[in-house]
Parts: sequence; structure tokens; C-alpha cells
Amino acid sequence: MASAVTTRNFKGGPGRQKNAWLLHLFLLLASVLFLFPLVWLISTSLKKVDQAMQMPPTWIPKPFEWHNYKDAFLYHADKVTGDIPFLDYLRNTVVLAILTVAGAVCSNALVAYAFARLKWKGRDVAFALTVATMMVPFPVTMVPIYALYKNLGWIGTFRPLWVGFWFGGAFNIFLLRQFFRTIPFELSEAAKIDGCTEFEIFRIVILPLAKPALSVVALFTFLGTWNDFLGPLIYLVDPKTFTLGLGLQAFQNQHGGTPWNLMMAATAMVIAPVIILFFFAQKQFIQGIAVTGLKG
Amino acid sequence: MDLSKLGLPALALAVVWAAIKSEQIPVSTVAPGPVHITYWEKWTEFEGDAIKAVVDSYNRKQNKIHVDLLSVSDIEKKTLLAVSGGNPPDVAGLYGPNVAQYADDNAILPLDDFCRDYHIARDNYIPVYYDIGYYNSHVYSLPSAPASTALHYNKKMFREAGLDPEKYPQTIEELDSLADRLVTRNNGHIDKSGFMPAEPGWWNWGWGYIYGGKLWDAKSGTITANAPENVRAFNWVRSYTDKYGASELSTFKSGFGNFSSPQNAFLSGKVAMELQGVWMYNFIDQYAPDLEKPTLNWAAVPFPHPADRPDLANTTFADEDVLVIPRGAKHPKEAFDFIAYVESTEGMELLCLGQRKHSPLAQVSAGFYSKHPNPYVKLFADLPKSPNVISPPKIGIWPEYQAEMTAAFEQVALGKKTAKEALDYVQNRVGMINDDYQAQLKARREAGK
Amino acid sequence: MKASRRETLTALLFVSPWAIGFTVFLLYPLLASVYYSFCNYSVLKPPVWVGLANYHNLIRDDVFQTSLKNTLVYAAMALPTGMAIAIGLAMMLNAKVRGQTLYRTIFYVPSLVPGVPLAVLWLWVFNGKQGIINAVLQPWFDGLSRLLLHLFHIHVVLNAPQWLSDAAWAKPALVLMSVWGAGNAMLIYLAGLQDVPQQLYEAADLDGASWFSKTWNVTLPMLSPVILFNGVMGIIGALQVFTIPYIMFPGGSPARSTYFYAMYLYDNAFLYLKMGYACAMGWIMFVITVVLTLIALKLSSRHVHYGGS
Repeated sequence: MASAVTTRNFKGGPGRQKNAWLLHLFLLLASVLFLFPLVWLISTSLKKVDQAMQMPPTWIPKPFEWHNYKDAFLYHADKVTGDIPFLDYLRNTVVLAILTVAGAVCSNALVAYAFARLKWKGRDVAFALTVATMMVPFPVTMVPIYALYKNLGWIGTFRPLWVGFWFGGAFNIFLLRQFFRTIPFELSEAAKIDGCTEFEIFRIVILPLAKPALSVVALFTFLGTWNDFLGPLIYLVDPKTFTLGLGLQAFQNQHGGTPWNLMMAATAMVIAPVIILFFFAQKQFIQGIAVTGLKG
Repeated sequence: MDLSKLGLPALALAVVWAAIKSEQIPVSTVAPGPVHITYWEKWTEFEGDAIKAVVDSYNRKQNKIHVDLLSVSDIEKKTLLAVSGGNPPDVAGLYGPNVAQYADDNAILPLDDFCRDYHIARDNYIPVYYDIGYYNSHVYSLPSAPASTALHYNKKMFREAGLDPEKYPQTIEELDSLADRLVTRNNGHIDKSGFMPAEPGWWNWGWGYIYGGKLWDAKSGTITANAPENVRAFNWVRSYTDKYGASELSTFKSGFGNFSSPQNAFLSGKVAMELQGVWMYNFIDQYAPDLEKPTLNWAAVPFPHPADRPDLANTTFADEDVLVIPRGAKHPKEAFDFIAYVESTEGMELLCLGQRKHSPLAQVSAGFYSKHPNPYVKLFADLPKSPNVISPPKIGIWPEYQAEMTAAFEQVALGKKTAKEALDYVQNRVGMINDDYQAQLKARREAGK
Repeated sequence: MKASRRETLTALLFVSPWAIGFTVFLLYPLLASVYYSFCNYSVLKPPVWVGLANYHNLIRDDVFQTSLKNTLVYAAMALPTGMAIAIGLAMMLNAKVRGQTLYRTIFYVPSLVPGVPLAVLWLWVFNGKQGIINAVLQPWFDGLSRLLLHLFHIHVVLNAPQWLSDAAWAKPALVLMSVWGAGNAMLIYLAGLQDVPQQLYEAADLDGASWFSKTWNVTLPMLSPVILFNGVMGIIGALQVFTIPYIMFPGGSPARSTYFYAMYLYDNAFLYLKMGYACAMGWIMFVITVVLTLIALKLSSRHVHYGGS
């Protein structure tokens, strides 16, 4: 199957192999620079607070304080009710991620199908308009959308953070449309001859073939929700509805602040799922990112 | 990552679960029985525990109203958003300087009628603490825990520098010369400092008041940011930058740990003298036992005054946490009943002993001071009665004004601008903001009539 | 292309979610935002028409200008730096180098770190005294101080950059952080490089072209559409930078050197409740975005090479 998102074999560019060791030297150096903040994060997260603040800093925690992770997890936990804020933030973020991912995949697939595989009047104009909306910065529409949700009485609920995802988004429509167009039209024709309706063609023929592209949409939407800060910041008011990002900021905001070692442990716990996800879905990531930058 | 293996039904189920959860979580579960009111507070840790103790005591005392306490960070922003969203708490614990903005935006209820019913009047309080919540001829808030400030100093560091620990500075000039003598260097870098105007940095906007200046002229309704006294104060701030070097000071400052930690600049013996509030004792007690034992190695004294202005002795920054009822609260009457309990001698002393602060009430119970662990609590309770008590101007644009003053302070402290330049700039800019704001308020008042 | 009524109807059904989404979440807010920008609007009360007052005030507003300047300066620093690093890394990886997948992962993973933890992590890394960067740098500065003292008898105390508290270093600190997230762009460039036809290099080899000449004459022109696309998206993104400075530099400290456009807009909207003013700012941001994008497209029209199609 020809597609815009197949991995390519990595063939050589203009470089020759003569200076391979030089190349490796550069790459190794760059790797060190790219890795040190993460290593520093993990190192600090395992230190005692005294060692974390010690001058000059050391890299190896002594002793390894594994319980920092437990302490960070239980930070501000209510001993009486057993309420664990971190767990609440995690649950809230997961709830939102499920709703946004499901919404984005369903709605965008439908819309992209119409743009990619149906003929209708005004399609190309509508598509151009759709692509152009990618240029509208969020701050422009932030206030009216806030006022809109306010009038609906939705401030303080989760709805402003996920309902919009069920109504499509320019970027994902664009991405899926590009992919849908690479699926041979003969397949649709054959299905039509068999008496399938458009929706059946969409469901039976296109969707199964589009799984790679759909998982790209799912991944990016998940990341977007996991990383979102501004949205929760303006729509959520009650701490028990906070997401991880907001909660992490609140940790830091509290009077007096948090010891750096616990802060780093909490940070590591927020980052970890994203990195784990990356290792499981590396292929989709790389294909997805590659396709976003190309054919613009 | 093949999602299809999980099967469509499982996915659909997950979505349904999430949808249900997303509706359930934001709704507070209301148990039958007493009226539940929500109370948002900014405090956590031991200050939060003190508030919880008051709430628990109130909940035990009667069975008609139940207060649900929630800890909320960035409370001054979140409450405003909640009011505009139409779903605010019944009681919110804001900061004193928020009152005017909230009142102008019609975001909180005037409490006059409630106060009359519960016999709460100005006479009950140390006046400044009542006045913070009194705005435009209405009571908009009542105090919870108050604060006042004094110069804290480390006697051990005095001794180490060969100074008499009982001779604390009376004037700013003495403060400066003591500060110079307390500095130690290591490898050329400042290792310990005597005093820094930027530490802890919570009253950066207010140094002008120490020199007899003010930021707002209530009679004419004008901004007075560049009054000569304010410029003089910022020149004094600048003198520290010129003396020690901006980069050296900021390097030194970034070595300080969090306020609430043993690495705190004052607690770890990095800075010998600091302007601090009544709360400082708690942190000394918690993190720096060497300042308490074997003998009392720290002291709190009135902040010094300029040598040529003996009339400015006993200045203090009076601030307080306030309780307000946001507009749109579902149970304002019940909310006030709880507030009234906090304003009672019993509730207030439970709170203030727990947070280890003095009481904003004019009368304290017989045992209050003897029970109070802070050895200098009387000083903190007396200073706010001084004629030179300072509290931020009660104006709706204070958040912007304060942001401007903070930026001006930074520019002066970093040596980027002279005191005059920085304050002229604030005068000009906030002056314009104020003009617009007053015009809007007037237009609104006329539209309201 | 002629579409039957039935087909159009079906298509409309498919497209309807987006039709609603577009109207409700884009068109309406855009129009409402124009209206609010001419109003005094606090959300707590209905908007009051004030004509051009908001725009007039914006022209006089120094902080607005500061925030705009900060944003543009930041974009001008971060975009080219990030681009150069991303292209450089992509080109290194594109050479047949062993361990390519591992390197790719190493460079990419940092760009996955979400904004809030990223800000918190770098606050710690950049800490003027205990941060790992200055812990490494300070001994060098001290050595230099000693050297100056010994050689020239100049008595100075030199300090490593105060990343978080020196107005001159705060923006470079943010640029450095943005470079750390260059992995995403790197992957895009890498994919673009894979698309460069091998024959072009072979032809250049026959001409005896140097590595530099091949890069300049083959690689970069072939990559230019990708660079343009990334550049435009980069401009749009850089103008909206918010989360990281909001957390790392409250109020745009030190001395407002990191007070960016989106932060000032947010403060106006949600701290000072000047929603009308914020809308006016939003529109100016939109216009700037469009203008910069058009300039980028115009400038590039001569230099971008669209191969193939």
C-alpha cells in the first residue's frame, strides 16, 4: 500500500563515511547535552534534600532515596479522608485524554473522509479555509470562547476541555485527508458496486486501512491533552478537578514551595508516561511527525 | 500499539466511563442533613491545619451548617474566575489587598447588614485590620489571620562580627553601617550578608512608606508613585546595588533555598537582618533550632526609620487574610454565620494561636499571650496600633500598580534604571491606567443609576 | 467535477461536526472578539461599547510594546537557532551513521517533555547557584577572576550568568530551552532529507563537488519547502509562547525582560479582567501573525524549490 506515512529506508545524504569518527564525536557530544537535564532530574529526584541543595552539586545520590517518589506521590495527601491529590490529577487527566482522543479520532475521520473522498460543491474552498484556520492563534479566540462557556455555565466543569474535540480540528483533518487520498479509489468503487453506502465504505473500507494515520491523530491528541496548561488554567477552578500540569504548578506555587528533590520526583512521574508511550509507539510518532512537516 | 486488539466495545466503555466521571468529579457531593457551604483557603501545611481546626470546631459546635474546606492555590485569580463562571465558593479566604478590585468588579457581597445583625463593628478590632476590608463606605471583608512586620536579626551573626547583639539599628543609616560590618566574603564572593532590600522581597512596593512616602492620595484620587520620599527610598535600594554589585547580589540570592526550608536565607544564617512578619517565628522554630537554643539568638524589633525622620519610628506593614462572600454564593447567610464564628474571640484565637500570629481583635482573652509561643508577639500586636502603620492603597488597580512597582524595584535593584527614572515611569503609566479606570467606574456608576 | 444532490447531502453529513466546530469555535469567537475589542468588558458585566479606546490605549501602553518587543526578539533568537540545530542534527543523522535510531531517540525525547515539568526542571537546572549549569561554569569564572588578578592586578569578581534573575540572560535561557526541544523539527527535517533523490548526490559526486557545495546546492534547496513550512509554524508558535515563561518567570521578571505577548494578554484578560483590551491585543497578534507569514512566503517564493509535483 502506497502511503504518505510509510517509513523510509534511511539512505545516505551528501556525507561520506571518511569522517565517521568526527560525526560520532559530534553526535555523542550532542547526546550528552540533550541528556544531561534528564539525568540531573533523575539524580535530584533520588537525593535527600540536603544533598540536593549541596554545593558543589554531586551527580550520584547518596543514599538513594527511592521513597522520594512515594513522598511526592502522597504530597499534601489528606490523612483523614485518604484523598491523594496526585492521584486525582492523574485520574482527571486520564478522563480528559480519553474523551479528547475519542472525540478527535471520530470527528476528524468523518470530516477528512468528506474532504478526501467525496465530491461536493465548495469542497476545495472549504478545505483551503480549513487549512487557513491553523493560522489563528488561540489567544485571539480565547476570550470569546471563555465567555461562551461562561454563558453555558460550563466554567469549573471539564466540558470546555473536551467537547470541542468532538467537532474536528483543522490540523487533524488535514493530516487524515492527506492519508485518505492515498488509499486507492478502486476499493471504494468496488464497495459501491457491492451496494455499500458511503458510511459503510468509510467504516468497512477506509477506517481499517487508515489505522496508522488514526493512531497518529490519537497520539498527538493525547500528548496535547497531557501537556495542556492554558486550558485547564482558565477553565478549572476547583483543585479536585485539576490536571497533572496544573497540579504540578500548584505544588510549586504553595507558600514556601516544595523541596526540589520531591518536585523533581513529581516531575519525573508526569513525564514518564509520555516517554513510555513513545517507546511503545515510536513508529507512529516518527511517521506522524514526518508527515506533519511535509506536503505543507 | 494496536488499539484494535482491545476491541471496540472496550474502547466505547472507556469513553462512557470517562464521560460519566467527567460529569461527576466537578460536582460536590451534597450529603443530606445540614447545609453544606464551601470555603476556599490558600493555606496549606501548619497554617492550613490551623484553619482546619477552626472549621472543625465550628462544625462540631452546631449542626445546621457544615463547612467544607478546600485548599486552593492562586486563590485571588481562581476566585475571580469562579465568580465569573457563576459557581463560586460560599466563603473565600483572599488577601487584604484584593478587596478593592473585587468590590469594584462587583464580585463580592457587602457585609454591612450581616455585621449589624451579628454586632460586628470597627470597635471590635485593631482599627487598621477592620479598615482593610472597609471600602467605599461598605464592609466587604472581615479579617482572618493578621500580620505585621518587624526587623528580625540574628544575634549569633552579630556576635561573630564582633557586634553587640543587644544594639540593634534604630535608624536606616545605622542599619546600613551594621549591614556593611556583617558582610563576609569567600573567594571574593559574598558569603554572608547583613541586610538586603530585596530579601525576602515581599514589600518591594512599599519601601517609600518607610521614608514617609505613600503611593496613593485618597483625597484627590491620584497616584503618587514618584513622590520625593519614594524616590529617596528607591535611591536607598539602589545604594545596595552600587555597593555590592548587581550580579554579585543576584548570584548570592539564588543560593537561598525555599522560604519554608532550612536553607532559607535568614534561617541558614546567610542574611543577618531581614524585614519579616509575625510568621517568621514558626519557621525559626521548625528549621533553625540553633536560633532558639540554648539562648534566644534572634530578636524582632521595630524597623528602623530614616535618621532625619524620628517621627517615622514604629513603621510596620499591616496585612491580613480576609474572608469574603463571593457574589453568586449559594448560601450567603450560612456563610456569614461561619465568618462570624471566625470573628469571635474563640474562633479567632484558635486560628491565630494555630498560625502563631497575633489577634486582629482589640481585646484578647486572658491567656492568649501567655499561651503564645512567639516571644515577641506583643511587639507584633502593638506595632499595628502605631500611627505609622502601613497597608497597601485600597484601589481596584492595585494588582497592576503593584506589578509596576515590583518591576520598577527590579530595574532599580538590577542597576538598570535610577530611582527617579523608574518611579517617573510608574507615575506616568499607572497614572494613565488610573484615569481610565476612574472614568470607567464613573461611567458604570452612572449607568447603574 | 459535478456532484449530485445526494452526494452533496451525504458529504454535508460527514462534514457537519466540523461545520459546527468551525462556526462555534472559530467564526463566532473571531467575530465576537472583534466586537469585544471595541468594548469595555469584564465578563462579570455585559460589554459596553467604547469605540477605539482599547486600540488607542494600546498605542500608549509601554508594557504592550515591551511585551511585543520581547516576543519578537525571542522569536528572532529562538527560530534560527532552533532551525540550525535541528537541520544540523538531521543532517548528521542522515549520514549512514551507526546507532542512528538511538541518537534519534535521544534527540527526540526531550521535545516530548510537557511544558509544566519542563519549566520546573529548567528552573532547577538554571538556578544561579545550585543549578548544574552554573555549578559547572562558576569555577571557570573564578579561575578567570584569579587570572586577571595575577596577570593584570585587576580585582574583579566574575559570576556565571544569572539565567533567572539577570534581564540580559533570561531570554537566552529560554532560547537554550527551546533548542533542547528541537527534536521534533529534527525528525521533520530528517524525513525531508530522506526524500532528496540519491541521483542528485551521485551527479554532484561526478562533478567532484565538496561536502559543503553539495549541502548548499543540493540538500538545502531540496529541503527548502520543509524549512519554509517549519519556519511559518515556528513564527506562529513563538508569538504564542506562554506556559514556560509564565511558570519560570512570574510577571515576566526580571524587570519584565520575559514578559511575553501572550502573558500580558492573559493577565489583562484574567487578572485585570480587561477582556476587551485582551481581545484588541489578540487581534493585533493575529494581524502580526498573518503579516509575518506573508513576508515569509514572499521572501521564500524565490528560494523555495518545489521538486517533483
